[in-house]
This record gives sequence, structure tokens and C-alpha cells, in this order.
Amino acid sequence: MRIIACFKAVPEEQDIVVEKDRQLNFDKAEWKIGTYDLNAIEAGKQLVEAEGGQLTGLAVGGTALDSSKLKKNILSRGLDDLYLVIDEKAENADTYQTAKLLEASIRKIGEFDLVLCGAGSSDLYAQQTGNQVGELLGVPVINSVNKITPQGDKVIVERVLEDSVQVLEVSLPAVLSVTSEINVPRIPGMKDILAAKKKPVTEFTVEDIGAAYVQPTSLVLSTQAPEQAERKLNILEGDSEETIDEFVKLFNEALK
Amino acid sequence: MAIKNVWFITDDLSAIGELAAGARKLGEHVTAVLFSEQDQAKEAIACGADQVYLFKKTEGSFIEGYSKEIAGLIRAEQAGLVMVYSSASGRLIAGRIASQLETSAISNVSDLYIEDDHVVAEHMVYGGLALRKEKALSDTVVLTVGLGVFEANAKDESREGKVTEITGEAENAGIKVIEIRPKQGETVNLKVAKKVVGVGRGFANEEDLKMAEDLASATGAELACSRPIAEGEKWMGKERYVGVSGAVLKPDVYVAIGISGQIQHMVGVNDAKTIVAINKDKNAPIFKQADIGLVGDLYTVLPKITEKLKA
Ligand SMILES: Cc1cc2nc3c(=O)[nH]c(=O)nc-3n(C[C@H](O)[C@H](O)[C@H](O)COP(=O)(O)OP(=O)(O)OC[C@H]3O[C@@H](n4cnc5c(N)ncnc54)[C@H](O)[C@@H]3O)c2cc1C
Repeated sequence: MRIIACFKAVPEEQDIVVEKDRQLNFDKAEWKIGTYDLNAIEAGKQLVEAEGGQLTGLAVGGTALDSSKLKKNILSRGLDDLYLVIDEKAENADTYQTAKLLEASIRKIGEFDLVLCGAGSSDLYAQQTGNQVGELLGVPVINSVNKITPQGDKVIVERVLEDSVQVLEVSLPAVLSVTSEINVPRIPGMKDILAAKKKPVTEFTVEDIGAAYVQPTSLVLSTQAPEQAERKLNILEGDSEETIDEFVKLFNEALK
Repeated sequence: MAIKNVWFITDDLSAIGELAAGARKLGEHVTAVLFSEQDQAKEAIACGADQVYLFKKTEGSFIEGYSKEIAGLIRAEQAGLVMVYSSASGRLIAGRIASQLETSAISNVSDLYIEDDHVVAEHMVYGGLALRKEKALSDTVVLTVGLGVFEANAKDESREGKVTEITGEAENAGIKVIEIRPKQGETVNLKVAKKVVGVGRGFANEEDLKMAEDLASATGAELACSRPIAEGEKWMGKERYVGVSGAVLKPDVYVAIGISGQIQHMVGVNDAKTIVAINKDKNAPIFKQADIGLVGDLYTVLPKITEKLKA
């Protein structure tokens, strides 16, 4: 199977600081691989391990992708090769712009059986890139995929809906977005980290993949932390009878 | 200024009222796209739609296959705004339609209004850390919305509208529905619960959740959890996890036990009247967002608290 797993470089959310004016400060936030993209990579890895084939990583984005640490990290997750489209024009791309760039990249890479995406990027979480790429490529596209079982030139997928699970037979090539529950991404070991060094990395610009410029869909007016509710901060400490009695008294008042 | 043509699309009939009201508020002429039976078209009209496209849906049909046809109708009728209910199917339809219309799908919009003749959409970004306001620029704006964004209007059964039934089959080259299995486990509506007890990774074993259940039953609360408990450990159903990617609640009392209080979780309970926290780490972020807190080991304090509450 020829599998392309897509991922996005996102800022480490733990290290984004909310300033006094409720603006976000990204100075301390390192770029990392989107949390849910790891599920797409792991799903691809498991398929290739079971069926044989090749697993390619693909990302489009700004200069954040041009980090040796990030590249090493992604390659240590079992990719056979890696394609990056690094371009200022790809920075802050919306879902359609991203999907157009991925479409062009995938066509450039060539034949594939499956394109895998995560449930959503862990920064913007629009959950749309896979859907939009699939439609642009004109192949079957399914989101919310919780299980993939190869069957000849098809895959059987389980798709989680609100109140049911759909079992679908999907012919290849196809684009699937997986859930964050489909697997537990493994942590790369020493061997994987060493092997990562030998994996080929191809870098493209937007021109290289022949993608036309697409107008942005929207203009961001503001990005601001929501106002926090005032809390009483009545914090007690310890497990003595008195402390627990005191806590229970306060708790009981709140329950009324 | 209102938008001339607003469309809403939903595969979940419980969303008709709210989406129709939202479309009515923003648009002059409202079109509904539904996938099912005739009486739901009547309901959409009573709720505010002027026109309904009714697509065929049978057991085992894959309604996403209508995306291209819907996009064609949207283009022909020059809709300015298309709101799609954010179910899993709705999200896929939204993305496919957006690609057909050469635009993005703005997702999980929490507020929507018109400013200077443009649609402005608000939605959470960075896992709930911030709210982003975006001015949509495309001729047809495609977005997904969930419940709770608009308030349904009272139904007016005397309203009239046009219903067009689309009898053609969905275009599903390469996709075949083999089976539909009802989801295992109970369904829970956390949104209506006045009191909610949330458990987090502070619980070391699944059987320890019994302590939280005891507290919940002593206080008449519903049980909820943080994402890792539902998704990593799978100790509880996904519909029980609270937060930006789970349920967003407004209970009177939320009790967080063994939950650190990460923003992605807290976004789901920020509107709780009272937040109560139990955590053994006095520096846990939850204590900066709680009204009442107890720094202590839940294994020691929780049984005592429940005992005393029952007394
Ligand atoms: C894009 C994105 C979306 C997300 N969406 C959500 C979401 O919707 N909902 C959600 O919940 N999370 C979400 N998360 C995950 C979130 O960031 C946190 O990882 C998660 O909420 C942490 O869960 P927790 O508090 O149970 O676990 P932890 O953060 O591990 O906290 C466990 C706490 O238990 C305490 N503890 C341990 N032992 C004891 C004891 N014996 N007694 C008392 N206290 C104890 C510890 O001090 C600690 O504070 C999301 C993350 C991302 C990146």
C-alpha cells in the first residue's frame, strides 16, 4: 500500500501565554507535530506493517516546518520518506488554501492508495482539511474513521457517527480522516531515531508543486482569550476532620 | 443588512429549529436542505424556512454523496451563506461543498453576525485558549454550527413554503455502506444536568471511579470526565467528556476531582455557577479557577466527603 500521512506544524499549546490584555503570546511555544496528526501517522504505520508498502509524510506550511528537530521527530515515527512544502505563502493558510496545496503536492508525489489525515489540527481544529482534499482529488473521502481494514483493492472502514457506527467499503485511492481514538501513537525508540537520519526528505516551494495562488476565505479580525469568570478561590488544604468539615459545609451551600 | 439567500443543511432533525431561526435572523430568504421525510420539511417551514430541498435517505444511504448536487443548487441560487449542522456527516458535507465552491469551511462557529455587509464568525482556537473573530470574504460563506448557537423560534404552522423532493440517488462512486451498528452504551445529556461531577487522571484505576459515582449519587449529580479518561483510558463514553472538543456545559455546580484544569477542559465548564475542585497538587491550575477547593489526596478525602454529605 502506498500511504501518505498528512500533518501540520503547530505551536505547543502548553507554552502559549495569555497576556494581560488577553492576547496570545507565542514566544515560548515551540513548533511541534499536531497531536491528532500522530494518529494518522500511526494508522499508516500499522497498515504498512501489516500489508507492506510505503509510508510518506506530507506537510505544507510556513518556515516553522524548516526545523531539523521537527523533521527528525516526524521521521522517527516510521515514515519511509518525507515531503515538505515550505513557503511563506503557506503560512496561516485556511482550509481551502491548505487543501489546494496538499492536492497539488499529492499529485506531484504521484500514485497513492490512501491519504490519511488526523481528526483536526491541534491549533485550529477545523476538521476540514481531509474532507476538502478528498473532494479536490475527486476520490472517496471519509471522516471520523475509527478502524481501517484492508481488503484487496478496497478498505473496510468503521466510521463513528453521533449515535451509530457506519461500516463502509471504500475503494482505493481514498482520503480518510481518522479519530484520535483509532490508536495510541507509539513513542519512537532509539532505533527509530537513528533510522530517521537515513530517510529522504524532499522540500518544495509552492512554485515547485505548480499550485496557483488562492485568495484567503476570511480575514482574521482578532484572536483573544475569553474573559474568565471571577471565582471565589476559597481553597482549603489538608485532610484533617476540621478541614473536611469546613469543605463539606461550603460544598453543601453550593449544592443548595 | 441581511443576506439575500441563506441556506442551512442538517442531517439531524433536532437541529432544524435552531438553524432555521439563525438563518431567518441573518437572511431574507431561507432554504433548508434535509434528508428524509415530508413532515420534516413542514417542520422546517414552520420554523422559518421558505424553501426546502428534500433529499432521499434510506437505511444505508450515504447522504454525503449529494454534496456535489447541493453545491450545484447553492451556486445556481447564489446563496450568500450556508450553515451546516456540525455532525460527523454534516462536517463532511460542509467540506465537500466548500471545495466545490472553492472556499473553506469555517468550523464550529459559536457566534455569527453581519458587520459591514460581511459575515463575521467567532470560533474557538488553540484548544479553547482563544476566541477568533473572522470576517468571511467569499461570495458563498460555508460554515458548520452546532446546537446552542441560535435560539429556536416558536413554530408557526401557518407559514407556507416550497418543498422540492430530489429523488435521484446519491453519487457514491467507491463508497458502499455495508452495515450500520447502533452505538454501544447509554446516551447521556450532560447539558441538562444541574450538578456534574467530573473525574480526571487523578484516578489511578477504573474501579476507583466508584468513589466518584458515590459522590454523584449522594449529590444527585451526573458523572462526567476529562478527555483522557474517555479517549485514552476509555473508562467512560466519549459523550461524557467535558471541554472544547467535548461537551460544553452550564451547570450550577461542577466538581472537578483529580483534574488538573487545563484550558481545553475548563472551556467546557467556564459558565458553571460554582466550580469545586479536589486535587492533591496545590499548584494545579484548577485552583486558580475554582470557587471552593480542597488540596488533598482524593483517595483519602473523597470517601470522607461523601460520607459527611450523606449524613
Ligand atoms: C486540541 C486539544 C483539545 C483538547 N480537548 C480537550 C477536551 O475537550 N476536554 C479535556 O478534558 N481535555 C482536552 N484536551 C486535553 C487537555 O489538554 C488535558 O490534557 C486534559 O484535560 C487533562 O486531563 P486530566 O486533568 O484528567 O489529567 P492531568 O492533566 O494528568 O491531571 C490529573 C490531575 O490529577 C491530580 N491527581 C493525581 N493523583 C491525585 C490524587 N490521588 N488525588 C487528587 N488529585 C490527584 C494531579 O495533581 C493532576 O492535577 C485537549 C487537548 C488538545 C491539545
